[in-house]
Amino acid sequence: MNSIELAIFQSSVHSIAEEMGAALRRTAISPNIKERRDYSCALFDRQRRVIAMGDHMPVHLGSMPLSVEAVVFAMRLEEGDIAILNDPYAGGTHLPDITLVLPIFIPGVAGPSFYAATRAHHADVGGMFAGSMGPAREIYQEGIRIPPIRIVSGGVMNAEVLSLILHNVRTPKEREGDLAAQIGACRVGERRMQELVSKYGSAKVDELSDALLAYSERLMRAQLRTMPKGRFEAEDFLDSDGVTDDPIAIRVAITFDPENAAATVDFAGSSVQVGGSINAVYAITYSACYYVFRCLLSDDAPAAAGLMNPITVTAPEGTIVNAKPPAAVAGGNVECSQRIVDVLLRALAKAAPDRVPAASYGTMSNLTIGGWDARFNAPFTYYETTAGGMGARPGMDGIDGIHCHMTNSLNTPVEALEYAYPFRVRSYSYRAGSGGFGEFRGGDGLIREIELLADAQVTLLCDRRRFQPYGLAGGDGGKTGLTRLIKPDGGSEELAGKCSIHAKRGDLIRMETPGGGGWGVEGCSRQRHDL
Amino acid sequence: MRIAIDTGGTFTDIVYLRDSKLVVLKVFSTPADPGKAVLDGLRQVGPRSSVVVRHGTTVATNAMLERKGARVAFVTTKGFEDTIAIGRQARPKLYDWFQPAPDCLVARELRFGVTERVGSNGELLLAVEASELKDLVEAVGGARVEAIAVSTLFSFANPESEVKIAEALAALGLPLSISHRILPEFREYERASTVVANAYVAPKVGSYIASLATKVAAEYEHGRLEVMQSSGGIISARIASAEPVRTMLSGPAGGVIGAYKLAKLAGFDHIIGFDMGGTSTDVCLVDATGPRISNESMVTGIPIGVPMLDIHTAGAGGGSIARFDAGGLLRVGPESAGSDPGPICFGRGLLPTVTDANLALGRLDTDRFLGGAVTLDRARTMWMMEQAKGDLERVEEFAAGILRVVETSMEKAIRVISVEKGHDPRDFTLVAFGGGGPLHACALARALQVPRVLVPVLPGALSAVGILLADTMREYSRTVMKGIDADLEQVFAELERIGFAEFEAEGLVGESFRSVDLRYTGQGYELNVPFGPEMAQAFHALHQRRYGFANKARPLEIVNVRVRLLAAGDPFKPPRQAVLEGDGSAALVGTRDVYFDGGLHETRLYERDRLHAGDVFAGPAIVSEYSSATILPPGDVLRVDTYGNLVIEVQA
Repeated sequence: MNSIELAIFQSSVHSIAEEMGAALRRTAISPNIKERRDYSCALFDRQRRVIAMGDHMPVHLGSMPLSVEAVVFAMRLEEGDIAILNDPYAGGTHLPDITLVLPIFIPGVAGPSFYAATRAHHADVGGMFAGSMGPAREIYQEGIRIPPIRIVSGGVMNAEVLSLILHNVRTPKEREGDLAAQIGACRVGERRMQELVSKYGSAKVDELSDALLAYSERLMRAQLRTMPKGRFEAEDFLDSDGVTDDPIAIRVAITFDPENAAATVDFAGSSVQVGGSINAVYAITYSACYYVFRCLLSDDAPAAAGLMNPITVTAPEGTIVNAKPPAAVAGGNVECSQRIVDVLLRALAKAAPDRVPAASYGTMSNLTIGGWDARFNAPFTYYETTAGGMGARPGMDGIDGIHCHMTNSLNTPVEALEYAYPFRVRSYSYRAGSGGFGEFRGGDGLIREIELLADAQVTLLCDRRRFQPYGLAGGDGGKTGLTRLIKPDGGSEELAGKCSIHAKRGDLIRMETPGGGGWGVEGCSRQRHDL
Repeated sequence: MRIAIDTGGTFTDIVYLRDSKLVVLKVFSTPADPGKAVLDGLRQVGPRSSVVVRHGTTVATNAMLERKGARVAFVTTKGFEDTIAIGRQARPKLYDWFQPAPDCLVARELRFGVTERVGSNGELLLAVEASELKDLVEAVGGARVEAIAVSTLFSFANPESEVKIAEALAALGLPLSISHRILPEFREYERASTVVANAYVAPKVGSYIASLATKVAAEYEHGRLEVMQSSGGIISARIASAEPVRTMLSGPAGGVIGAYKLAKLAGFDHIIGFDMGGTSTDVCLVDATGPRISNESMVTGIPIGVPMLDIHTAGAGGGSIARFDAGGLLRVGPESAGSDPGPICFGRGLLPTVTDANLALGRLDTDRFLGGAVTLDRARTMWMMEQAKGDLERVEEFAAGILRVVETSMEKAIRVISVEKGHDPRDFTLVAFGGGGPLHACALARALQVPRVLVPVLPGALSAVGILLADTMREYSRTVMKGIDADLEQVFAELERIGFAEFEAEGLVGESFRSVDLRYTGQGYELNVPFGPEMAQAFHALHQRRYGFANKARPLEIVNVRVRLLAAGDPFKPPRQAVLEGDGSAALVGTRDVYFDGGLHETRLYERDRLHAGDVFAGPAIVSEYSSATILPPGDVLRVDTYGNLVIEVQA
């Protein structure tokens, strides 16, 4: 084994994961997968350790292995089987994220040698609210819950399972097409891994996989050796769960042990799980940790399981960061995940102040608008997240209006939006002055104003309405977010961060997203650099 | 007489036809004033009169790369001034907290809003007020800008607001780039970005082209300048000056067209172009429908919506630097030694590059690199690579590893344009060009199971060849967003009227090709098919091929209407050499030990100029020529065809 063989192997398996992603994007039907690219593909060795993952969604980083783990725990996969799941309490994250797992067999080798997995965010999985992202109170209201079961058995699609799933979603044709695309993507992974094995031999590929995992572990350990010894604590809050007004605490202690090149992350002291839908299951919490430590390495480090070997993550059961049934969890993926990152960064900044940015906007400002479009005589459902300001970095201002941390989805162009929905966008701009002051300024948030040209149900899932994105090293916090409903007569009301209301034709929804926190104490008259 | 002149980093290539044969001349480029080398080369060819100079220019590309374009004012609908900077609100790097802010070509204080609004059906909801225009002209006039870009919402559906704004701003006498003229298509950010990029490079390209055109006209009676555009067609100097955004990939587009035309002549119409240069590698795919065009390209991080050949660039080339990372893994690129300090073997570089690895393995002639412009220092290379080889035992092992790693990243790039888009590489011929393409083509073809490599004549000047042979072409488009049954005659006729008038002004007769971009209603992406009664069928078939499914029951909508006007280039019928069965021995100039597959092999060295049609021989061999060398690994079989191309059957 040498560094060259390993470099080529790493590149080859990464290329397979990317190719799975391209196949999925190419053959999926829904815009959410094709355009917003809300999916991930990964490959695992026989011990269910990630050996390659495409450069897809950060929130899926650490949570996909738990899906494979859950499948293997639940059943014995044979050749030709493909398992499906979305249950957040058995390997999933939130119900819209459906994961497929295919075992890869090599002739002459007993049991699966590898696994290929694809995860995609499906635009609807049933439940009380179109889009399955609404303010539910229990998981039973959030959509169909699929434990690990076979959707393909012995190479044949399990029509009964498929039928059950499709009978429980609002857009069955689209779901069927997207699931077929996921199956196709898994098969791309299977075929390419088998080709790789026939090129190198099974024993050699095992050896290379081990070497790749050891290599990724070395990368992380080299990093951990540079961290200061000690325990670093932090806390931050989610505003509320949308049911009560109680703030929700997330607390963490990161302990670095540079001699042993190890770290532990402990979420003890975090609030108990809540009645609203912003609970995170452990997979989300683990993903957020994975993301944060991943960012300490260079941008091209492979997303292989060895990275997390030196790191232990514990989250007490029944809390906001390790929710148990029947807690509703749709927003855990989008809101709680961002706050977990904020808390981790805040603790990390105490250990390595020069390497950590202040808090970014910290909420995906999820907006769902549904109603009847008279132009097409058809119902419509619009869902979008709006970016905010990036936290200031030591030495650099934060970036204005850009997606940070656990998401990176694109916006919908104004012109595309007005073609597709009965809306008129009145403005889309930076929210000047919303970034926190400091030696380095936090990035500004965004303002987006949408005028409704039809009556509609408007659902918000937003945070950072009460607790500002924090500054660091003396920098000010970023401004909190704000959503207003403005009536045609000019009257207006502020909407709660998490709510669902009936709005009228002519009403204007004005979304102002939070700015990023500042970094350092503001100097006498430092000119702000234009970003 | 047509003469193609392509500006490159080191050389400016001049190619023309003499007795139907391609003739090449290379002069050193003059980066401070690229036009100097163009005129020098032209004088050396010495055409008498009526010369048409077809130019591949890097002026627009370099202005973008170096961010040395104009100070641009951006004018848009009030409330949307920031959209040019917000872009698609996504970050370029997922895991880098310290990434710089995405570049915006318009400074914050130079973004201007005008109260006006057009709706999605083209209805004028709010007209521009004359008083506001007066203030706008004053504000822009006082901002010391060098160019102006105007792009308002839904301007393509109703240009009334933009026309009024443009009329008012014309008083300032600055280059004006107007969205409904340059790219009348929906998606406001990509349109505005294209228009701003146009404005950004307009003053530089405009004055460069104007001055060059004047000099050509002054020196040669009836002399005329034309320019290669990124979509692979030629445009007049006047259009290139007004819409320089169309010249961003002028040279690389020439390479694709050159590869396409020469391969087609040789009998291969499914090709993958592989152009390896010093800092990067361009790959492209051509199938029976011709070179693929993209309407969503990126140039130096800036979206460009005008049609460009779909060229995929990998950040690795001959100058890419090899290093071991913190975990001990060998990595090659994206850092490049560039031309300063350059690879170790150039005499000043300190870090091993792909070129050094090739030299260490015996694959390069020390005294013929870049046509002898650089002498390579083998001793220095071996010594410094010895220091850098880490735990590896031998320099050769290190060098072979560097090549394998860089070839793996090129393999990835080719997979992106082929496998990931539904094409099987086994159905294609790899056409290798650029300085480095022929060095790596056979190894790459084997990895991808591509059965054949073609090294065309003049692989080091293929861009100029393509520019010489290209058709004259103009592309017009408009977003209509209508049902599949809509009557489009008026829109097509309007676009053709504009096009034919432009062609007529250049003394050209064009042929019109109508096409439409279709999608399933509500989809977010569209596919281009020829316009006509069969277009729905063609769309379903293409959708099936590209995306793996089609749904004939689902309604379709027409997103964009496109007209391409074409005036074919001169016919190219080079004389064919008679086949003489031979083994190339007349071209054999010696042997050298070259490292292949873990060991040294005695390798025959051939001079390409002395090979003859019908020569056939097997590797290991190296075929050297001016500015390039083809590596033939053991077992691969090379045949010289009647046009002088090297056609290599690659061992599976």
